[in-house]
Amino acid sequence: MSTIKRTWKVNGKSVAVRAPAGRRLLDFLREDLGLVGSKEGCGEGECGACTVIVDGEPVVSCILPVGQLPDGTEILTVEGIEKKRAGRLIQQAFVECGAVQCGFCIPGMVVSSYALLCRNPKPSVQAIREGLAGNLCRCTGYTKIIQAVKLAASRLPKRK
Amino acid sequence: MKTTEKIDIRFPKTLAEALRLQAREETRGKLLAGGTDLMVQWASGVPAPGRATSIWNLPELSSIEIFPGHVEIGAGVTHAFLCDCPQIRAHVPALVAAAATVGAKQIQARGTLGGNAANASPAGDTAPALLVTGGSVVLASLSGTREIPLSQFWTAYRQIAARPDEIIVAFRLPQKGKARERFRKIGTRRAQAISKVMAASRILVEKGIIQSAAIALGSVAPTPVRLGAVESFLAGKSLSPAVIDEAERLAQATVQPIADIRSSAEYRRWASGRLVRDALENL
Amino acid sequence: MTKRTSQSIRLVGKGMPRVDADGKVCGTTRYINDIDYKGILHGAVVRSPVPRGILKAIVPDAAFDWTGITLATAKDIPGINVVHMHDRTMPLLAEIGGEIRYRGEPVGVVAAKTPELAAEAARRIRLEIDELPPLLTLEEAVAIFKSAPGQLDTMKEQDIVKGDIAKGFAEADEILEAEYRAGHQEQLYLENQGLVVFPQKDGSILSEGSIQCPYFPVHELNDPLKLPPEKIRVRQTPIGGAFGGKEDYPTMLTGYAALPALKSGKPVKITYERNEDILFTPKRHPVWVRYKTGFKKDGTLTAIECDYILDGGAYLTISDVVMFRGILHCAVAYRCDNVVIRGKVARTNSMPCGAFRGFGAPQAIWGIESHMDAIAARLGKAPHEYRLQVHARPGDRTPTGQLLTEENGSTACLKLALRRSDFAKKLRQVSRGRLRKGQKKLYGVGMSFFAHGSAFTGDGEAKFKAKGRVELAALENGKPGVNIRVSSTEMGQGVHTIFTQIAADALSLDPAFIRYPMADTGLVPNSGPTVASRTTMVVGNVVHRASLDLKNQIEAFASLRFFQGAPAELRASQLVAKGRKPLPFAKVAKAMLAEVGSASGFFQFVLPDSIQWDQQTFKGDSYPGYSWSANVAEVEIDPLTCEISVPRVTAVIDIGRVINPVTASGQVEGGLTQALGYAVMEKIGTGRNGLYDAARLQTYIIPTALDIPEYDVKFVEYPYSFAPPGGKGLGELPMDGLAPAIANAVEAATGRRLRQIPITPEAIFEALHAGKKGTP
Repeated sequence: MSTIKRTWKVNGKSVAVRAPAGRRLLDFLREDLGLVGSKEGCGEGECGACTVIVDGEPVVSCILPVGQLPDGTEILTVEGIEKKRAGRLIQQAFVECGAVQCGFCIPGMVVSSYALLCRNPKPSVQAIREGLAGNLCRCTGYTKIIQAVKLAASRLPKRK
Repeated sequence: MKTTEKIDIRFPKTLAEALRLQAREETRGKLLAGGTDLMVQWASGVPAPGRATSIWNLPELSSIEIFPGHVEIGAGVTHAFLCDCPQIRAHVPALVAAAATVGAKQIQARGTLGGNAANASPAGDTAPALLVTGGSVVLASLSGTREIPLSQFWTAYRQIAARPDEIIVAFRLPQKGKARERFRKIGTRRAQAISKVMAASRILVEKGIIQSAAIALGSVAPTPVRLGAVESFLAGKSLSPAVIDEAERLAQATVQPIADIRSSAEYRRWASGRLVRDALENL
Repeated sequence: MTKRTSQSIRLVGKGMPRVDADGKVCGTTRYINDIDYKGILHGAVVRSPVPRGILKAIVPDAAFDWTGITLATAKDIPGINVVHMHDRTMPLLAEIGGEIRYRGEPVGVVAAKTPELAAEAARRIRLEIDELPPLLTLEEAVAIFKSAPGQLDTMKEQDIVKGDIAKGFAEADEILEAEYRAGHQEQLYLENQGLVVFPQKDGSILSEGSIQCPYFPVHELNDPLKLPPEKIRVRQTPIGGAFGGKEDYPTMLTGYAALPALKSGKPVKITYERNEDILFTPKRHPVWVRYKTGFKKDGTLTAIECDYILDGGAYLTISDVVMFRGILHCAVAYRCDNVVIRGKVARTNSMPCGAFRGFGAPQAIWGIESHMDAIAARLGKAPHEYRLQVHARPGDRTPTGQLLTEENGSTACLKLALRRSDFAKKLRQVSRGRLRKGQKKLYGVGMSFFAHGSAFTGDGEAKFKAKGRVELAALENGKPGVNIRVSSTEMGQGVHTIFTQIAADALSLDPAFIRYPMADTGLVPNSGPTVASRTTMVVGNVVHRASLDLKNQIEAFASLRFFQGAPAELRASQLVAKGRKPLPFAKVAKAMLAEVGSASGFFQFVLPDSIQWDQQTFKGDSYPGYSWSANVAEVEIDPLTCEISVPRVTAVIDIGRVINPVTASGQVEGGLTQALGYAVMEKIGTGRNGLYDAARLQTYIIPTALDIPEYDVKFVEYPYSFAPPGGKGLGELPMDGLAPAIANAVEAATGRRLRQIPITPEAIFEALHAGKKGTP
């Protein structure tokens, strides 16, 4: 076992990290920081319920060892999404479209949707499907989730 | 404490430092790149090693360079990065197509080309596309670098030709030039799918005659394989329906797939030929 | 509905946003594994490493440090070692000298400070077992049934008989017989099973967790735990999906956790990781079903004979009722005077199967809807025209003799689905094994038509008498409001939202005043389990009526207290009386709480007297109401690789009154997607070691966002007249009929009928190229 000491920014706040290097980011977020919005559905990177954004990229935190994130890493979890304008729009659209059922996949879905809209503010339906393909949902059949992302995208402020 | 927390992971800052760690058995660790394969294996019961050496984000492994006639892709380049690189798409399009089928966005953001190759799964998505370039792997150790043809890289089921003290640093891949490339994966579903069978090809046709053909398959043998018999049959032939039929048949006669959780041996054998047909019909 | 209630607040029928959505999109909803329990132990189950044998000894490793670890075995069971379920045969834990009946059967439970330590301790227990030869799969059982029916080990059998089957076959011009098969299906709720059992000072227990039916553990564990129902309290935490998977199984899990909890005096939590959850919790029953049908040249069905065998696994648990629902759906949607259906639950040495959305009906409908297409083909009729001809409609009698008295949407569903999907035109474009001009893929379109019985079978609801309360209370914000107290659990399907709508309308009260706390058997009357497509129809009616009851009480109080006896009415969150200034609900409610204390409306569900059912002969009214649906699926098959995709699905559905069209269509899209998985990708086999072969998310494949079709979901409303607001069952129906619609489309695309799901590229390849013949 090796221990790391790092400083990250999690949801905009500076966080002192001290953990075994092989600790899964998901466990660190949930247990050390109490950010339990990210869920564990499979523990092997398949279901996407643990998706968070690390330095702008969506990743599955259940298979990411904390040691691989250097000082200065910026992490955005579902708890931080609310403070982002696009994030709030996505959350509102999920509620309005009925995109939520049991809710267990939803934090990961919201985070993946946010990552998608950051990269591609006007995604096609196909692009939305691709952007969410790493997030399994067993309740909704994805249809209303896709609608919600489309709706959120349509409400994003126009750039240039 | 979860299994992966017990691993003593080293985080060298440079390739040289990583090579020093790997040089001696006492400091050598299991090489860990994006973790998208290894972390999953360790979570699902494969015994975790005592030590690991993280090569994620090593600057020397993270670049893509375009040279006249070939490209050099750092082993640490992620699938997401590959997919976003227009020059790579121009010169080795099958590889980009393959990288786009790895897992989903989250896995593509962390999985690396070197990791995918080193994991040496017969179902590794990028392997057939690498193979058909006829390129090579650049391995580094304290004693220097050496280059191994990709055709000799995967030696047996989950075995590679690298020595324990070596690190994959890059892939040197000849550009396709005028040849056409194609990649097609038959997976268990449309995303997050492990392949049942997949094929990559690089075929050069001039004036209706096949000048050269490189065709590789994944998930049909203990390693990714080139279809040498089909390739030599095709060389010099004109692209007729009869030739395509024969190429399909030859491919089916050549492969020796097994049945597993994802597919049957019979289907894989048949589909191997079908994917060869697909490559030839889409030139 | 009384005429006063719906004048001002009208939420029923509207797409009110879900009441639980905010917490879920913000990640603040706390599921069981998000709750920080202090000072608890973590349990791990010790399981049999073999599928069958006699347990000789349980040997903890002497070299292991057992300090602080509690091991509970059958010896520690306070009462009789049997979980009630439906036949009182399954032990809570296998005991020494007893027979192990499936791989992974629990033998003990260890509890330790951390999950890792508990798992390690469980590994340090060696079991001595004299192995016996197992019978692992339904396939083996069916082979026995075919060669020596008397030797099939069945745990339950039931026949349905209508008319004279011999006469029916004698009258037939043609006879068509075929077999259909389907394997296990995993519920794959995204949140794994988990709960905590807290031992209480008075010897009772409290179980809290992801539990679909809180009253089940209360009534199923009395013998083993030696606790009366009032000493087993169960509380629901937010459920991350269940689909039946958390119906029967949390009873077992409560039992497992209770043993070390009672032994150690400390709370014990058991939560599974995905692999354990897939390997050792119940799945949809594999089925083998054989239809033999007789029909005249004009299409009239003269005889339907059916054998329906489910793989129940090692113990019956609840499989009898699954089989009952199955056989009741084997021929319910078509007119036929002579019917024999023989249902059986076979015993195998595998994990007992359990509840999964549809509950036996998808297996039955998979068979009959494939078979109806085959009959139509034999007759030279188009599949939709044939169904229009022979489908059941009001005035017809079902195989159990039930007269379909209610107006229903059977015909409307069929016609609208055909119209919306442009079925007749598309049918002319199907490939039948050869690409047509302009086609790159083999194209097919197929359909299915089916009913789903709402609520418990037969007079189950009459006997059960679902109870519910709607109570006036101080809410968490300190303001007065109303709590809905029923045991129906929110697991994603939207019950908290639609019951809020029903109560709001009945009370004429803004939903902001209404709460629906998580089910807690200490606080809610038993309105029954959240199963059987019964919640909207039965418990929705209970909430409606209990709300009306409370409304009357509030109005009576207001009349006396504020309006000098003038009649008062609660309307749009105000108490109004003629000629008086209206009073806000909050003011009246506050006074009522202060002066009367509590007030609550109550209702106990009753079935119409006309519902008659004989459980012995399976004759009579098998369900109080039926929902109806027609599905149309279009498929494309790549001739190059036999890969299949389903680009479009149309589903038209009669679920009576639609309480919330948004949640309802969400249920349909989700159910159809599970059915899509069932039809074309979800596959899990049993290895010789008795373990499932696809026990991870890398190997058990469910649809992703890229795999789903475009859905066209439409409701036709034929309200259930007896139980306002008139909803019928919805939850299960969308799971029922898509697989056969897809198989029928595959037949249209390829010319081959596939009689086993999932229809994978391998299966299509075999049908088309490997010489394994399908027959029409």
